Amino acid sequence: MRTNVYLPKLAKVISVKEEVGGVRSIKTFRTQFLDGGFTHKCGQCAMLSIFGKGESMISISSSPLVKDYLQFSILKMGRVTSAIHDLEVGSIIGIRGPYGNAFPIESWKGKNILFAGGGIGLAPIWSVLQTTLLRKKDYGDLTLIYGARTSPDIVFKEELADLKSKMKVHLSIDVAEPEWKEFVGFVAQNILDKKPSPENTIAITCGPPIMIKTCIKALSEIGFKDDQIYTTVENKMKCGIGKCGRCNIGRHYVCKDGPVYSWAELRQLPQEY
Amino acid sequence: MVKHEDVRAEAKKLLESGKVKYIIAYELGADGWKANPVFIKKPEDVDKIIWGPTCFHNLIRFVVDEKRRKVQQKNPDTRPVGVMVKGCDSRAIVILLQEKFIERKDVHIIGVSCEKTGVIDERKLANKLKGRKAKNVEFGPDENFVVTTEEGTVDLPASEIMADRCLECIAHVPVITDVLFGEKTKRTVPHPFGSVEKIETLSSEDRWKFWSEQLEKCVRCYACRSVCPMCYCDECVADTITFAVSPDTTAEEKAQKIKWLDKSPVISENIFYHMVRAIHLAGRCIDCGECERACPVNIPLRMLNKKLEKEAKLLFGYDVGFDSEKPALISCFRDEDPEDFIR
Amino acid sequence: MDKILAKKDFPRWLEALGAYDVYAPQLIDDVWNYELATDRKAVSLDYPQTAIPAKKIVFPQREFFFEFREADTDDYKLKELLPEGKPTVIFGVRACEGKAVTLTDLVFGGEIADDYYWKRRNAAVLVGLACASPPSTNCFCLSVNGSPHSKEGLDVLMTDLGDQYYVEILTDKGKKLVSEGGAIFHEAKPPDKKAAEKIHADSEKKLARELKNIKDVPAKLKGMFASPFWDDESMSCIRCGICTYLCPTCHCFDINDEVESQTPLAGRRVRTWDTCQFPDFTMHSSGHNPRPDKAARLRQRINHKFQYFVEVWQNYQCTGCGRCITLCPVGIDIIKVVEKVRDHAN
Ligand SMILES: Cc1cc2nc3c(=O)[nH]c(=O)nc-3n(C[C@H](O)[C@H](O)[C@H](O)COP(=O)(O)OP(=O)(O)OC[C@H]3O[C@@H](n4cnc5c(N)ncnc54)[C@H](O)[C@@H]3O)c2cc1C
Ligand code: SF4
Ligand code: SF4
Ligand code: SF4
Ligand code: FES
Repeated sequence: MRTNVYLPKLAKVISVKEEVGGVRSIKTFRTQFLDGGFTHKCGQCAMLSIFGKGESMISISSSPLVKDYLQFSILKMGRVTSAIHDLEVGSIIGIRGPYGNAFPIESWKGKNILFAGGGIGLAPIWSVLQTTLLRKKDYGDLTLIYGARTSPDIVFKEELADLKSKMKVHLSIDVAEPEWKEFVGFVAQNILDKKPSPENTIAITCGPPIMIKTCIKALSEIGFKDDQIYTTVENKMKCGIGKCGRCNIGRHYVCKDGPVYSWAELRQLPQEY
Repeated sequence: MVKHEDVRAEAKKLLESGKVKYIIAYELGADGWKANPVFIKKPEDVDKIIWGPTCFHNLIRFVVDEKRRKVQQKNPDTRPVGVMVKGCDSRAIVILLQEKFIERKDVHIIGVSCEKTGVIDERKLANKLKGRKAKNVEFGPDENFVVTTEEGTVDLPASEIMADRCLECIAHVPVITDVLFGEKTKRTVPHPFGSVEKIETLSSEDRWKFWSEQLEKCVRCYACRSVCPMCYCDECVADTITFAVSPDTTAEEKAQKIKWLDKSPVISENIFYHMVRAIHLAGRCIDCGECERACPVNIPLRMLNKKLEKEAKLLFGYDVGFDSEKPALISCFRDEDPEDFIR
Repeated sequence: MDKILAKKDFPRWLEALGAYDVYAPQLIDDVWNYELATDRKAVSLDYPQTAIPAKKIVFPQREFFFEFREADTDDYKLKELLPEGKPTVIFGVRACEGKAVTLTDLVFGGEIADDYYWKRRNAAVLVGLACASPPSTNCFCLSVNGSPHSKEGLDVLMTDLGDQYYVEILTDKGKKLVSEGGAIFHEAKPPDKKAAEKIHADSEKKLARELKNIKDVPAKLKGMFASPFWDDESMSCIRCGICTYLCPTCHCFDINDEVESQTPLAGRRVRTWDTCQFPDFTMHSSGHNPRPDKAARLRQRINHKFQYFVEVWQNYQCTGCGRCITLCPVGIDIIKVVEKVRDHAN
């Protein structure tokens, strides 16, 4: 059957959960295609459509092993994402994808994985985290170092509490709060504090650009080699398939050749992200 | 006649003394006969500077750039920039001063008089030459230009190849300068609003037809806006997102931003864009004609602005861009204003 | 195989093409452009260069992707709006534009093909016109792997022999188009071929501009990414859309929803040309812009054409038509810029 790449498939929202309130609100949505659908890989994204408003590129945060829904965690940012935040259970949206490359998790079998994320940056990591957890016997130690500005800004609160019984979880917030018992400081500082061993380990870091930069620096400092560090790049996107010419860094179209890069690959590319 | 050497000597003096940061001037382009803007930073480069009938550009556009750059810099060099101006360009400075976008000390104005002519219109010249390629164009001794092609040299009267804006120019000698080259010639302009006279005689249906056909052609490259020294807004309704976005702008604010016009180059959107631009230039357009020159599909944009200039003149006796001390047309009113709402 | 068509018979050919939409260069308000030829008898191929390249016919500045319409509560009907793909002929296509289409083919093709582009592209027959003398003073096709009589991307190539055209049929589409003309085409004879070859050879000597020794430019550009060179070169750029919108090889676009009715919601998703020279092209929703100034944007234009595209497709993304030079309001000259890159000290 011929598929028109620009024509979204319709999907129904089956759950909406508010992760973070306030002006920088984050909500998690689960969707089911009305018919058909697609299978994705860890780290891939999809273009979500709100008809009349436009499209936004969003990481698929559910694991490919979960078949009955796709999950997206979305920060309210502007026109389209605000409209997504207004959706209710039963609302219809358009989805096209999946786009981009993926984390090479098959080749990481037998290795430890360190996840380092900040704010909404947990979304692209989440599908890898869920997948490796479900296949725990294939991987070594799993560790999460995650931080947010304040404790209410932490996403996936219940899931994180639950995770603590399954893997090492280190949380942090930027400035001290009376009730806070864990680390206070930036994610990069927490990495330096916890000093996870680079031995047979892959580190994935996602979050705002400045956080990615400082985390990569911290990871290098404690001995991670460039090809042991992975991250995702976000550039403004429209087509998602390497045609509209918008998202490039050097010869790479992030939508097609990215968004997942090892630091070894990324540092070869011009600084245009 | 203005001599290159004199302008160059002045530029050299300014740069050597460190009085200006750099000088915005004209140089000869790669095609060997047309001028291009150039930024002279070192005294040894002043010999690049030229003056001639292809110095179309209104270099004040780059004074606007300089101001934008300065706002971004932590410790900006506060010396003025030197800038070469024709009469029309000098009126753009008056507007920027009037609107307090720049201060007088930001610019060192090197004026050149257009004397008996002005700049040529490339399309008129091309039509005149019928396929022959121009190699050089110079000011003639009278109201004429001397054009050289591979077939030799011809004398062409200004009335045939001069830009319309120059034919209707009311300020061929710069109105504000620090130094002036060339003679303060006298000139009569029989039809200062000549380019709108014809269309004014048409019925409104015919005018609508005319503009619909013209604006249908627009590809919305925004060269007309980009080349204009008066279109200096940071935020423009024509852009998809506003540049005033900061990390503190909330999602709500961005989501509610009104989308004034679609990116599609269709007649409704094109007309809207051009009407907004024309209205925002009322009493501000100094008729340098750059929008019309830059337009790749040759839309007679000057006509829109000229009409509004005429309205300002007839209704309010307002001459655009002559006196920086006077309030701007759209920011003042008079007690004797015929409209009630403003009083 | 090659044919001869008398110039007086050219209108008869056009009239035989009733099933096709015919585009040909037309002069409107002193500007040449490829326009739908409503009066086919009036078509003449005596023209220099159009302002807007032929790409606008296979990749129009605006096109619809689909229509959306709110049905019941929260349900939508989507209607795909693919172009119908009406057979189209474009006459007078210059060699540089034919070649340019082969480059946009690469972008819109591949594993994930762009149906909208290919619907139009497959339906279009490109009839080229060899340049006996350069149509623009800024032509430099020979320097970027092209030539004034290149056949790349064309279905038919015509060469003006005075009172007749030498017609080379290059593809099946071209063959069909010529066969529509029937008996007005005659077999070309060896002297005709000789005459055409002479015109082709001579035309190569007439180009006014060249861009020599650019083999190392891609590597050079790579090393110059952070150079202040770009600040200097872009000083006079006013960041308009001319050099890119009007470049036959530029393909960047935007996608937006145009709403026709709010309740019930109805409208269309529309693709329009976009350009890397507009500041909002890469600006993130947060206001962060990876290409914050015109230096970064000029660099992107040159790098894309002379480095990134070469790295991916082993060809320059420039066919030397000279439009960006001729039409730039401030005379930014891609030949000069690339020459300076070539001669830049490492
Ligand atoms: C690979 C990738 C993965 C991502 N993953 C996630 C994720 O998992 N979760 C998440 O929260 N975010 C994610 N993002 C970021 C997300 O895509 C952006 O935050 C989102 O697209 C912002 O869209 P918006 O419409 O809400 O913002 P806006 O700022 O409103 O607009 C974005 C676009 O809409 C258009 N637009 C906006 N305003 C106007 C206007 N006034 N007129 C016309 N057009 C307008 C513009 O073209 C603009 O570029 C990801 C981004 C990328 C590239
Ligand atoms: S320069 Fe011409 S084509 Fe470009 S936006 Fe202005 S009127 Fe339209
Ligand atoms: S290089 Fe010229 S045509 Fe291109 S954006 Fe700059 S001013 Fe416009
Ligand atoms: S880059 Fe300039 S010269 Fe090259 S094909 Fe594009 S418009 Fe023509
Ligand atoms: S989003 Fe269009 S090329 Fe990447």
